[in-house]
Amino acid sequence: MTALGSAPRRAATPPPRRRLRAPSFLLALPAWFWLLVFFVAPVGLVLYYSFGYKPSLFETVATDRLSFDRYLEALSPTFASVFLNTLWVGVIGTILCLVIAMPAAYWIATKVPAHRRGLMLGLVLVPFWTNFLVRTIGWRVMLAPEGFLSEWMVSLGLGPIELLNTRGAVLIGVVYNYLPLMILPLYVAFDRVEGPLREASKDLGADRVRTFLTVTLPLARPGIVAGVLFVYIPLMGDYITATVLGGAQGTMAGQLVASQFQTAQNWALGSAMAVVLILTTVLSAVVAAAMLWLVTWPVRFATRLRIGGAS
Amino acid sequence: MTAPVVRRRRRPVTDVLLSVWGWLVMAFLFAPILVIVVYSFNDGRLLSAWGGFGFSAYEAAFANRQIVATVLVTIRVAIWSALLATVLGTMAGIALARRPGRWTVWFTALLLLVTVTPEIVDAVALLPWFVQLGTELGITILNDGIVRLAIGSSLFSTAVVAYLVRSRLVGMDEHLEHAATDLYATPFQALTRVTLPLTAPAVLSGFLLSFTLSLDNTIIAAFVSVQGSTPWPVYILGSVRSGLRPEIAAMSTVMLVLTLLVLVLVAIVLRRSGDSTAQIARTMTGG
Repeated sequence: MTALGSAPRRAATPPPRRRLRAPSFLLALPAWFWLLVFFVAPVGLVLYYSFGYKPSLFETVATDRLSFDRYLEALSPTFASVFLNTLWVGVIGTILCLVIAMPAAYWIATKVPAHRRGLMLGLVLVPFWTNFLVRTIGWRVMLAPEGFLSEWMVSLGLGPIELLNTRGAVLIGVVYNYLPLMILPLYVAFDRVEGPLREASKDLGADRVRTFLTVTLPLARPGIVAGVLFVYIPLMGDYITATVLGGAQGTMAGQLVASQFQTAQNWALGSAMAVVLILTTVLSAVVAAAMLWLVTWPVRFATRLRIGGAS
Repeated sequence: MTAPVVRRRRRPVTDVLLSVWGWLVMAFLFAPILVIVVYSFNDGRLLSAWGGFGFSAYEAAFANRQIVATVLVTIRVAIWSALLATVLGTMAGIALARRPGRWTVWFTALLLLVTVTPEIVDAVALLPWFVQLGTELGITILNDGIVRLAIGSSLFSTAVVAYLVRSRLVGMDEHLEHAATDLYATPFQALTRVTLPLTAPAVLSGFLLSFTLSLDNTIIAAFVSVQGSTPWPVYILGSVRSGLRPEIAAMSTVMLVLTLLVLVLVAIVLRRSGDSTAQIARTMTGG
């Protein structure tokens, strides 16, 4: 990657005023340098550590013998169950976010009067910019067995809330925390599908549901994909929500990685877990995309449009 | 805008259901924040057990030297980190918009990688890296807590500022810069007198966004911070384990008000520079 620094000087099309153009490319160099030193190099180091081992009780990592042993260890049943749990929370959490956010984003984009949309988006942004940790603590207060919500439930005869420190609490927390990240791209997507287009669909005889399914939804697809990725990727790496709401026993892979670095002081294993976490996230997203593509293939085949005689 | 004024019919059931759902989602989004704000007036000893209304939590929070110190650390780090990210990101953004070439693909990929890598991975990667550089290579400045924290939270922000500046410049013609150079401005003068003023709104909002992002930075901070310069979020994380007290809610409310003020400022800046609501929304989520 570093070798690229010098090559791009000669860009594809020769600029008309080359003399004056030269220095601007150099403007990106400080950022290159910064990100290479404090992002690429450290993450590369983690990759390297993941092939190492923990030599003794008081040392964190050694790399004189490289092997895949730490990966086998990271995928051993005890840890694999945490990765599976992370995947479960990640997939269910993302689906819940999508299901909750879709009507809300559609509402803001099409039903709320135009002059109030800015305010609505501002309201969605407030939780997004409130400290992540503080919001999550808000849920801890609400879900606490001695809290007000629990007392209301008891007075209604429903018994106290016993969600805190369970997977359910983590799920509520992540859905809550990442929901704005789903609403915003969906809003942008629905906003782009112009009103006249929907009207045209209506005029051509489609009812509301059909218009939504065959016009609005396909056009909003890039936004939906963006929203799903915006939610799924950070959700899989979540550490704070699970720590605050999930109790002491680690339930998410992020906590597992953290504990290897902070308490177990086994950097090799922690690094391998971090790599497994990234691979799990990327591979599961690719598998999901492939499955979705296969499942929707018949629909696309049936509704594809042939223009002219071209195959 | 699209709502037809002429035909006034009864609103269909789906519309009513949609708006009910929309307001429910809003309530869901605000519930825990309201809880924190309300519980900051809790006179009790434990955060989650209500002990009467009062301002004692605010008094206790500002009297607690440790809390005040952590907040000051966080604000100092946020200023440094925002400065770093703004300088690096603005330069990168200008280069991306004005000198696209083969290098942009790689650079954009790098920025994308920075934004999608889980924070926990950045965090565990930076910890050994700082230790290595600081103690074994003797770059002692990296043993300073503030420096470590500022670097840690500048990475994501740099990418955000670069996106912001790039997208603002891409929408603008380069003719003005050409005109400047035709009038014998040196490339440097064209940059500082023409390009930079053009990008000013994006630069300013990038700075303010980086500032708030840094205030929020918890995971990386939890790993790289050194004793004596614990930032505020890490202090809260510690007290989740040892017991949450109303002071936390009180100081969090103060910080929330501070963040919101900054964000309103960003929105005003962007609005003045002619962005649409959707663009502002996109800008504020760093995409």
